[in-house]
Parts: sequence; C-alpha cells; structure tokens
Amino acid sequence: MTDPRIRASIRYPNDLTVPGMWHVRLVRSPYAAARVTHIDTSLLPEGVVVLTPSEVEPLGRYGCQISDQYVLAGVARHVGDPVAAVAAADEATAREAANLLEAGYERLPAVLDERDALRAGAPLVHDTHAVSDSDAAYFGLRPLEGTNVCHRFRIRTAGLPQGEPYTADPEPDDHAEGFDAAEVIVDETFHMPAVQHVAMEPHACIANWRDGKLEVTTGTQTPFNMRQDLARLFGLSDTDVRIVCPPMGGSFGAKTFVRTEAIAAAVARRLDRPVRLALDRDEEFVTLTRHAATVRIRLGATRGGRFVAKRVWCWVNTGAYADCGPGVAMKMGYAGVGPYRFDHVAVDSYCIYTNLPPAGAFRGYGAAQSVWASERVTDLMAAELGVDPVDLRRQNLLVDGDVFCTGETMHDVHFEELLDDAARAVDWQPGGDNRGKGVAVMLKGMQTPSKAEVGLRRVDDGRFEVLSGTTEMGQGSAKAIAQLAADLLGVDVDQVEVPPPDTDRVPYDTRTTSSRSTHMMGRALEAAVEDLKNSGSDYGHGRIANEGGLDVDTGQGIASSHWHQGAAAAAVEVDDETGALTLRSVHAASYAGRVVNRAAAELQQEGSIIMAIGTTLFEELTFDQGQVVGPNLSDYNIPSALDCAAVSQTILEVGGAEVHGLGETALPPVPPAIGNALASLGYRPTELPLTPERVLDCAEDPP
Amino acid sequence: MTWMAPRTVAEAVQLKAEWPDATLVAGGTFVGILARQGLLASEDWISLQYVRELRELSTSSELALGAMVTHRRIELDPEISMGWPGVQQVFAAVASPRVRNAATIGGVLGDADYASDPPAMLVALDAWVEALSVRGLRRIPVADLILGHYQTSLEEDELITRVLVPRGRHHVTYRKLRTRSREDRPSVVAAASFHEGRVSVVVGAVAERPQFFPDLCATWKPGDSTSTREIAAGYADRIDPVSDNRGSAAYRTRMIAVEVRRALDSLAPAALTSQAAGR
Repeated sequence: MTDPRIRASIRYPNDLTVPGMWHVRLVRSPYAAARVTHIDTSLLPEGVVVLTPSEVEPLGRYGCQISDQYVLAGVARHVGDPVAAVAAADEATAREAANLLEAGYERLPAVLDERDALRAGAPLVHDTHAVSDSDAAYFGLRPLEGTNVCHRFRIRTAGLPQGEPYTADPEPDDHAEGFDAAEVIVDETFHMPAVQHVAMEPHACIANWRDGKLEVTTGTQTPFNMRQDLARLFGLSDTDVRIVCPPMGGSFGAKTFVRTEAIAAAVARRLDRPVRLALDRDEEFVTLTRHAATVRIRLGATRGGRFVAKRVWCWVNTGAYADCGPGVAMKMGYAGVGPYRFDHVAVDSYCIYTNLPPAGAFRGYGAAQSVWASERVTDLMAAELGVDPVDLRRQNLLVDGDVFCTGETMHDVHFEELLDDAARAVDWQPGGDNRGKGVAVMLKGMQTPSKAEVGLRRVDDGRFEVLSGTTEMGQGSAKAIAQLAADLLGVDVDQVEVPPPDTDRVPYDTRTTSSRSTHMMGRALEAAVEDLKNSGSDYGHGRIANEGGLDVDTGQGIASSHWHQGAAAAAVEVDDETGALTLRSVHAASYAGRVVNRAAAELQQEGSIIMAIGTTLFEELTFDQGQVVGPNLSDYNIPSALDCAAVSQTILEVGGAEVHGLGETALPPVPPAIGNALASLGYRPTELPLTPERVLDCAEDPP
Repeated sequence: MTWMAPRTVAEAVQLKAEWPDATLVAGGTFVGILARQGLLASEDWISLQYVRELRELSTSSELALGAMVTHRRIELDPEISMGWPGVQQVFAAVASPRVRNAATIGGVLGDADYASDPPAMLVALDAWVEALSVRGLRRIPVADLILGHYQTSLEEDELITRVLVPRGRHHVTYRKLRTRSREDRPSVVAAASFHEGRVSVVVGAVAERPQFFPDLCATWKPGDSTSTREIAAGYADRIDPVSDNRGSAAYRTRMIAVEVRRALDSLAPAALTSQAAGR
C-alpha cells in the first residue's frame, strides 16, 4: 500500500471544514508592548462578529506552566499578540474585517534581550507570575516576583553554595564553586538566536460547542494538556472537552499546548456555531519560536585533562508568555553539563520574559542551545591543553555506573561508541592533523516523570485497533505503534489500525514530545497485550509510569528515566575571504536501543540533521523593535535539497535493549560539530548562525 | 477583479493600452507571492500564459528570447550553452528547478527586483529588450531598463516582448555569492564579459540596480594584480550597498572587492591570449 502521504490522501487540520462554520481572523498588535485603549468596529461590514479583550478577560488566564496569557490581549506583550478576533461567514469577509478594524494603543516600554530584561530598570513584561495548576507544570516552579524571571533552575552538587537569586552579569567564585583543583580554566559566552519551526502546515483548528460540550479538532502534540487547559479556562470538567487530532503536516514542537484553540473556542461559543481558525505563514513567525538563549560556560580541568568543575549560566528568552519555557530552561541547564564526570557542577538557568513572540518547544528541546555552548567549550579546553579533542572527551565521558551531576547513576551508556563512530566518519586522525574537522557528543533527557496508557481492542476478522493518545506529525508514530503491536500480537501489521487520537476514545497520555512516544507507548503496549491475553475479553489496557524528576533548587534527583545519547562530526571548508563555509561531511550517530522501523528511524535522524544544518548555518529570526523581519520563506531560508548533500548517519542498535526515541537526538550535536570544525581553521565562533559574515567576524587572525 | 488572458501579442498590447494599471502576470513567481502576502492588491490582471509568440526562442543570429521563455528552458538549451554560456549560467543559478520551471526572462526583467540574478549578467553581455506598445516598438538596453527598486523605464502601456543578446560573448564569468541556502538569492553578484578587447564587470544584488563602471573597467591590465585590485577597490568604493537578510552593507562592500577581483582574475587568461593574438 502506498503511503497516504504520497497519495496526498491525508486530511490535515488545515484541510477540514464542517457545515455551517464561520471563519476567524485575528487582529494583532503592531507594538511590542502596548495597552489597547479602544477598538473601533464602525468600518466593518455588516454581519461580522468581533471579540474583544474585555469580553474574554473574565475567563482569566491560562498557560501550561505559568498562567500568564489571556485569550485576547488587553495589554499586548509582543508584536503580533492577538488583540481582537473577527468572524464572518466567509474567509474573505473575515480578512477584510480584520484589516478594517481599528485598534487604539497606548505604547508601553519594552525589553527584547534576555539579559537586558534582568538588569535594573528593565520594564516588567508581567506584573505577577501565577504558577499554573496544569499537569504540564510538573516540577517545582520558581518564579521570581518583581522580576522578568518566570522560573529559575539550579544544579548544585554537594557542598556548593546557592549564590545570588539571579544575575545577568555573574562574578565567578572559583573557590566556592569547586574550581580549586582546576589548573586550567576556560570561560566563554555563547548565543543562539530565535528560529522558527516552519512546519509545512500552519496552525489550523475547528472549534464547536454541542450542548455545552466543547469539541476542538486541531493539530496538537498535546491533546490531553489541551483538554485540561481549555476545560479550566471555560470552567468545564475535563470530559466536557473533546480534542480530536488528525495527522499534522509537521510540527517540530510548534503545535504544543494551547495556541489558537482558546480564541477559536471563545468565538464559537459567542456565535453558537463552529468556527475555523487557520493561520497564514507570516502569523506562524509570531505564534511560537525556539528560545533564543545566551549561555556562559566555565570549565576547569587539570593539566592532565581531567575535568574538575563546571559552571553554567543559561539566560533563556521565552518571549511574552512562558509557555513551556520553564521546562526548556531546566533541560537546557542539565544538557549544558554534558555527558562528563565532574567533581563539582553548578548551574543557574533562568527563564526570562521579554517582549518578543513566545518561545516554546522545538526539536532538540533545551539541549540545542546549551550543547552548542558546552561542546564548543570542550574544544576550547582541548586547544588550551594542546590535546586531541576526541581524546579529551573520551577521558571524561560518563560510562555505566558513573554518577551524573544530578546524582543519578548512569546505565545503558554508549557515549564513547557514538563519539568514535562520528570521528571515524570524518576520518579523524588520532593526535594528527584534523584541521577542518570537529566532533561533539551530548545527552538529552526524556520527559520525566511521564505516564502512558494504551487500549487494545480486538475487532472483526482478527483485526485489532490501538487506542493511543500519541499524535502523528509526520514522524511515523502511527506506523511504529502498529508495528510494535503487530509484533507483540504475532499478527501482520496490516491487521492493526491506529486511528488518530480523540480524547473521548483514547486513554490518557502525557504528550507526544521529547522523543518519548515509541519508548513509552511500546512499553504500554506490552502491558496491554498481556492484559488482553489474560483478561479473556476483547479489550486490553496497558498503563506505565516513569517516576522521577529533579529538585529545582539543587538539580538532584532523576532528570530522565533514560537518556538520549548522540554524537556528531563535521568536516568543513571555509573561504577565508568571503567567510562562506562549505560542508564536506555532516555525520550524526544516535543510540537507538532496539530499532522498531529502520527506515523511519533513519528518516527521523536525517530530518534532525537537516534542521540542525539550517539553524547552524543561516536560520535566524531577526527583529526590528520587536517585529519579525521578513516573516516569509523568501526572507527566512530553510535548507534546500542542495544543502543536505553531505549528510550521513549511524543508528547504534543493541539487540534486546529497550526502545529509545530518535526524534531529536541528532539535532543538538550538529551545531557544535560544525562550529568546532570551523574553529580548527582559526576561528572562534560563539554566535549562531554561522553566516559568512559572522564567520569573518570571528576570525582569530583577521586578514 | 478582471483577469484577462490574451492569445496574441497584438491583443496583449491592445489590452495593456486599454488597462494601463493592470498587472502583467508572466510566470507568476513574483506577483504571485506578492499577491498572496497582501503586498500587491491589483484589481485587474493581464496573464501572458496563452501568448504563444512570447515563448519563441531563436539562436539563428543573435539570441532572441521571447518574454515568456522560462529560466529552465534557457538553462537546458544546448545551443544557448554553446553560443551564450553566460546566459545559460546565470539562469541556471536562479533558485530551484521548481522556480526555474515557472519564472520567465520577461518577468524577471520587468520586476526589476534588485536581488535577482539575471540583470547583472544581461547588462554585462550588452543585452537589450524590445518593448512593444500600440505606439510602436522600442529597443532598450537592459542597462537602461532597470532604474531602481521595482522601477523600469517601460511606459505604462508597454510590455517586454523579446530579450536579445548579441553573439560572440564567449569569455564570461558569473560569480554568485550566497550567504544562506543553496537556493537563496545572491548576496553579491559579479557578472563579467571580455569581448573585443573590452571587459565589462557588472555587480548585482547589492543596490537598487546593476552597478557598472566602464571607466574603471577601461583601466584593466589583464594579469596585473595591482590594476585588478584597484578596479575591485573602485567598485567597492563607489557602490553604496543595501543591508538585508543576506548581508549587511559593510559585508557587501568587502565582498564586492573580493568578487570583482575574482571575476577579473577568471577572465585574465582569455584576455591575455586575446592580447597576444592581437599583437
């Protein structure tokens, strides 16, 4: 059977219509910070319905980790913040009406840079920070009232002091922070800009109310979080909200938590009819971005190359609304430590509000930013010590039984094999001339704690239906789940149906994120098959839970119930007159445990490498007074087929091992592998992307 | 909204005379994007897609390309490769095959977008366009066609019907500096031709129109690196470049010097051979 994606037979959320539906368009703030003073609807065509901030303010605020967002903004906090919604029977009228609506604004001071937002006198993006009661606020949140910090996360290994509550300009205290035994210290500050996911399909949803029950059909990776957040916002029980998730035309983290669904639901309730709200491409750029971040790393080692201590600061720009930024800041914090042994580790990671579009989940969640910094610093240390960068890593990599900085003992560890594989791919010469080549290695956590449930129903003719909350965004999860179920049941894969998630039909699942689904659903399916066999009925139910989590004040606990492990290598050439960087080879190696579907696993990995190439070499959201410059695919480039010729990969499989997710592992190590390759040619890159202009600017010996 | 689809050049010209504000649609890769983004709200449109005469291509004397000849056809035509290698190279360098399949030579010149590849090369090759209206035919050198950002010297009732490129330009080079994707538009272009003892270097994609300084080019001593560097420095000095997502003005100034020098260097062997033959 031909893949339905190739037959173009999938109906994505953007394709859906329902009889009688109206169309919603949004009116967006042109200012980074402004109070809406009035909304003039006098020019609007007849029959158009307008929803204003004051009408939805009584619903209160929502947010998956911090409750900081009204359905429509009476105070706009970024350029593009929706301040009104207009609905009409046809889309053209709704568009015209949105253009004709005139909103008045009182400008307010704005702050755009993550570190400026911490400095004295910075305007406060939000006056207070209320922790959300959503399931997605699953760890201790530490908002700092009276500041722009909506969460701070710390790691302190035994005996290290807590230090300042927050700082934009830290003063290292080497004695207190465990650097006494360090004979060599390197210290550098790095930056990664905001980027956009650029899923082929923009956000689109349909909302409808039936007898007091809210039904939303939308592309989302988080159906159960969406159900809960919408239920609380509209004062309903969870079961009075139904979320249906058709396959998405890509997401990469963009379709997580509540995006436009609350607005659509509010308009549908006001009209008492179904409404469709679908975004244009330019609106995608103000809907969700990847966190821009500044990361400073101080690494201490002995002259013999043993890592002694590491100090990490992350300033994470979450934009106008926290979204899952606190979680991103936490993961950025521990990913920046890297898969190495240390005597002492201290990390401070701050999730910081600014007046930029909100940032949230993005493939490589939190790790991309700090692995860029951390693995560049590993090479800076190798250069300082005059040793081979691969050897220096190998000397300090975690092995089975070692203790990570969180206190957890590592198991099923394969960092060294992955690093060696990557080095081989670029013909690394141990101790020899490796100019133009670079490597990187990293670890990335999986959502912990997390729960997954799955139902397995025997239907007619020996066929089975898997009821799973795992959503399909092109990653092939439905196929992987069908394959896993077929293997466990001992039937052909064509005998297994995996319908799209519908929260009225499928049991609870935490969400389809952090490369967890194949791993968690695989285990839940084992339980469900067992239950089906034992129960003697036509229905089996599987439920598994991973316990754990970190103390956010010390970073001690269980960061991840298992670790995504990856390495990358790159070989580059640079035109030292133009700064143009040519990729000769980009290779990524990831640990898969047991592979469920090799072709799908390789495609996932290839996708991660390609996204990493784009965000390493040229993708960057630039802003003019908070406004995205060029929110279209001519001004914002993503990689083309011609940019991907140098890609290769290894999937490290261990027979009989547990299944590891592979959706993101290959992304974070690629930028530092390329950066390290560039650095070996006499450059000192700290900021991404590595445009030719930036390459020239970081030449150590400018022409 | 009125959508007009003439079948002949005569009809098209007549419609353009009657509807001078109508937007011409050729391949649609430019106006299509603008219209979708709401940046171009035109009430009336004249589509040239059914005008077969505009798709004619002739290599019998000079190269004559109908305005609706696509980039892809130019890229793949073996006679153009042989006789007009600069034309082939520059159209092959545009965007992706998907764009090149649709975009046309008349469209790219009519848009007068500073970031397009072909104009600089067509100026370096002494190409001209034929502009037709009910009032008659005009021949306009490409160098005089593009006046500024999205501005041409076409009258409102005129349309480009053909682009003509003289024979004999075999010593050419097209240097395209991309700073992002391999399908991106150029940050800096240096298009150069050496013909009958004369070199023409045209810098594109850096300012509102292609930049050509014949007085600097006339000082070139092939093979003399000082002369080459002085011309390159002169181009960098005289051009006031734009800043955009593909490079800052300061970066472009540096790159103009690099790319002009490299373009001249690549023509030097041919120029030296020609000089030796002339002696």
